[in-house]
Amino acid sequence: MYSRILVAYDGSNGARAALRQGIALAKALGAEISTISVEEHLPHYAASISEVKAAKEEIDEYFRALAKEARDVAALEGVEIETLVRQGHEVETIVTVAKDGRFDLLVAGYHGHSRIFDRLMGSTAQSIVRLAPCSVLLAK
Amino acid sequence: MENLWFLAAVWVGLALIATLLAIWLRVSTALSEIVVGTVAQLVIGTIVGPDWLGSSSEWVTFLAGTGAIVLTFLAGAELDPAVFRARWKESAVVGLVSFGAPFLGAAAAAYYMLGWTPAASWLAGVAMSTTSVAVVYAVMLELGFNTTEYGKAMLAACFVTDLGTVIALGLIFAPFTLRTAVFVVVCLVVFGVLPFLTPRFFRRYGGRVSELEAKFILLCLFATGGVAVWAGSEAVLPAYVIGMLLAGTVGKDHVLIRRLRTLTFGLLTPFYFIRAGSFVSVPALAAAPMVFVVLFSAKMVSKIAGVFPAVRAFRYGRQEGLYYTLMMSTGLTFGTISALFGLSHGIVTPGQYSHLVAAVIGSAVVPTLIANAFFMPVHLQPAAVTEPAGAQAMPAATPKGVEHV
Repeated sequence: MYSRILVAYDGSNGARAALRQGIALAKALGAEISTISVEEHLPHYAASISEVKAAKEEIDEYFRALAKEARDVAALEGVEIETLVRQGHEVETIVTVAKDGRFDLLVAGYHGHSRIFDRLMGSTAQSIVRLAPCSVLLAK
Repeated sequence: MENLWFLAAVWVGLALIATLLAIWLRVSTALSEIVVGTVAQLVIGTIVGPDWLGSSSEWVTFLAGTGAIVLTFLAGAELDPAVFRARWKESAVVGLVSFGAPFLGAAAAAYYMLGWTPAASWLAGVAMSTTSVAVVYAVMLELGFNTTEYGKAMLAACFVTDLGTVIALGLIFAPFTLRTAVFVVVCLVVFGVLPFLTPRFFRRYGGRVSELEAKFILLCLFATGGVAVWAGSEAVLPAYVIGMLLAGTVGKDHVLIRRLRTLTFGLLTPFYFIRAGSFVSVPALAAAPMVFVVLFSAKMVSKIAGVFPAVRAFRYGRQEGLYYTLMMSTGLTFGTISALFGLSHGIVTPGQYSHLVAAVIGSAVVPTLIANAFFMPVHLQPAAVTEPAGAQAMPAATPKGVEHV
């Protein structure tokens, strides 16, 4: 049914649920599975290059740990997983990777913003559902 | 407030609030600290009294001043000498024009359009002449341009512009007496000796828990800063040049830079930026918003008029040239340092200072937004973005880091 699964993984509780469900599906279907983690912006309007470099080091360290965590969880289930990290806007990067990588299922976590936030800004999950080129599974 | 420790707790508390806001809003801590300083002074000044925050007390002034000096040193030490040597002609020409055009343009606008005194107008020219190498670097890193020749040349040009700014700040308002000559001679000797002495001294005695390196650098910065102030100049001038001269040696010692960074951003720069923000008068800004518009426009127009043709002379296309020009039009750290220099030396009034800082902050934000929205040379972006070690690369059709859906 699904042969290539992409999990949007940012380390949040919702994303962890998405990872677990994505791995379970991949195992059951014998599908390939990848995670995509998106590094959002570096601090804007910094005072010195040192501040930017420090922020970049922190971000890199965080995403290295995320990738390792995803591989460890997948290894426990005996599933091989590919971990991708990209820079950019969260939604557009996930959608682009899903499109370019010809994934046929995108699994994302439901973050659960407040109703006011969702009405004003639209949630990440809503935007992913709207823009994704494939089926989307929202994990809670 | 008379209790020193309570007052210190208030300042560190403000720094903490600024840091949290920076994390939540994803802006730099420096910008957040300036705004927090402005709001704190407005609120506390109105409720308790204008002097309660103690922005002009000696110890706050000392910590803030040290923050500015070390920050300037770090800024200079980030120069990549190899890139500068490879693209020196382009960097020198674009950087000097990027300094000279807004320096003259903003000074003229302040003098003829705003009726500022000649000294205040020159100060406005200096504050508006800067390019924020940190703002440019963040954009370059985020978009992957920092690894391209285009991005490297742009970053090297930023250093030349800022060198022009600190030299102007250090010399324009100097009285040019015998002391000035002594200052210049001392600087030349120190600048000649340090690149030779420092790496050898560090190799022999460095790398210990006693942090000899940090003490040595602080000694150099304080001593040359002391001579600069004694001569009626500005301490950031030798600090920036020392940073640039040591960029190829000390600047490459990541452990040392990280230690200095901890000291600087953990303790010193919060005092500098919060203090700089506390002197901004919101009522003065609200009373004469057109002053901000004139200063900001003068910077933008003169930067574009000067830098765009200079960049085009180095065979960049229209889009790359405009993007390059807008990046060179950003400003933040040296702009606020210049404005604060003017205020603390009585060259500008508190109202003029407020407008200068507002225009500087505006120049950090607006050109970046316009450049990334309309003129980003996507074709110059490298094909793949950097991935942290441990992450696996995507096969075949690797998308670019930033592509608008």
